Amino acid sequence: MPKRKLDPLPSAAFQILLSLAEEDLHGYAIMRQVAEQTGGRMRLGPGTLYSSIQSLLEEKFIEELEPREDSELGQERRRYYRLTAAGRKLARSEADRLAGFLRVARSRKILRGDYV
Amino acid sequence: MSEKIYALLLRLFPSHFRKEYGEESLQLFRDRARDEKGFTPRLRLWFDMLADLAISVPREYFYAEPELVAASGQRLGATPSFYFLGGESPRPGALFLGAVLSLTALVTFSTLLTQGGVHRPRNASVRQLRQSAPPARQVAGDRNSLATGANETLASASFGQGDSGSSAQVAPNEISTAVVAPVGHGNVDAAERQRILNAAIVNLKQHYIYPDVAQKMAEALLAKEKRGEYDAITDGDAFAHQLTSQMRDVSHDMHLELVYSQDTLPPQPTETEQTPEELARYREAMKRINCAFEKVETLPRNIGYLKLNFFPDRSVCEQTATTAMASLNRADALIVDLRDNRGGMPDMVALLASYLFDHPEYFYNPRENTTQESWTHSPVPGDKLADKPVYVLTSSRTFSGAEQFCYDLKMLKRITLVGETTGGGAHSGVWYRIDDHFGMGIPETKPINPYSTPDWEGTGVEPDVKVKAADALSTAVKLAQTKLQKK
Repeated sequence: MPKRKLDPLPSAAFQILLSLAEEDLHGYAIMRQVAEQTGGRMRLGPGTLYSSIQSLLEEKFIEELEPREDSELGQERRRYYRLTAAGRKLARSEADRLAGFLRVARSRKILRGDYV
Repeated sequence: MSEKIYALLLRLFPSHFRKEYGEESLQLFRDRARDEKGFTPRLRLWFDMLADLAISVPREYFYAEPELVAASGQRLGATPSFYFLGGESPRPGALFLGAVLSLTALVTFSTLLTQGGVHRPRNASVRQLRQSAPPARQVAGDRNSLATGANETLASASFGQGDSGSSAQVAPNEISTAVVAPVGHGNVDAAERQRILNAAIVNLKQHYIYPDVAQKMAEALLAKEKRGEYDAITDGDAFAHQLTSQMRDVSHDMHLELVYSQDTLPPQPTETEQTPEELARYREAMKRINCAFEKVETLPRNIGYLKLNFFPDRSVCEQTATTAMASLNRADALIVDLRDNRGGMPDMVALLASYLFDHPEYFYNPRENTTQESWTHSPVPGDKLADKPVYVLTSSRTFSGAEQFCYDLKMLKRITLVGETTGGGAHSGVWYRIDDHFGMGIPETKPINPYSTPDWEGTGVEPDVKVKAADALSTAVKLAQTKLQKK
């Protein structure tokens, strides 16, 4: 079986890791969180979302929690996901890598300002 | 609804994905559908879902676990074994190919079923004439009767209204095969008898409304054949009569018949859709004769008089009909002259009858199965005729659909029939040509006759006031005047 590739980390997987940084979330909450943190640009569909979650689970970057209800969304039990230490590390290294790009971009005068 | 569609689309994913995340995917769709209402958000939702499918499905298949690879690792030394891919759904390509193949097969079979084999028209009908009537056998399709009506009118128009000769009654496309079978010239042999008998049995079993009775008839005919009862019959007409009476002995259905014709029978009429040209011709003909509404007048003492010579197709003549009825609307009594009316379309019969009631009435039509269409469309808005006395004039030429008008309104006690007993053509069977000289009529409908009196088949409708057709109008006028005076 060909390994699902997380190297380089696909942006969907990276966004999922970021969305889980502060709290444990279920699939739909991840999707909404990702949409919010990307300014609505990335709306993960079920296929992309769950196949990314599956790869991240396989590599133990996230872990699955006992299903429970989301009081805001009714009676359905949902699987929640939590970022693992390895996942947090991966997210950080990816962020560093992107930050490196940013520095390059700024030095080439492509990006202005001193933010990040 | 949209959730169901998405659930179907989800089946495109490989089973391992569906097993693990199918329910979650559906839940996500539900969540989004619940939160994103309105046209644009919904459109975006579907766009997202479809884009996601387009990207994810191929990827999931690419990563799909070939279970054979996994299984081969566990293979035991010398044990013969085989493996199968359990639980994996067929790939979309295979599904698509399967769908195309089954569709092709379906289309092919249905085409073969309709086109192949012996082509029979479904609706050719045989109207029975009274025994005493000229032996013209009318064969016309229900649809065709539209054209028949036109031709009949044209024919009668060209022969003149007063012509009561039987020649005027036979319209060009009512195939007038002489069924007058001259007595025996040794014209059927054993092989022919066998062939006709077999064909008759096949037709009965295939087409007669009551399959169990058809079976009994078949058995009776075969039993008689076995006993050699037909061996001596060499005359076609006698043979046809024999079979007819034996079928009727079992079924008691007087509309079943087997017919012999010395002349070659016309080819089986095929039912064809009316071509635009035919329709245009029909319209033209109707326009020329004002849709058979020959006279629409008001007689002295405000008696409305309508002479209608057949009941034309409603789709073409409804306007004429409503105009005519509107101009009669203020009459104190109505006389409908059907003395030269040879029938026509049941929907026009029902349309005109609708004016005579203030509530829908069941309108019995022996030609058609009882349906919702079997009711009049009463009350007609603005109609004032519903409570007026109505006299209907008849002659022995009044026939078929015109008789339906008379019979039903008489049974409903709505009219006074003045004139002669009508022609007596009610039923129709479907005509099946067996060969050049034999054919049979088989009833295929079972309408409900709500009246205890048998309908007018073979006997005609009896008038309430029996006078000669020529005196019917003056009699009806007198009756109407007397009635109005009493008021």
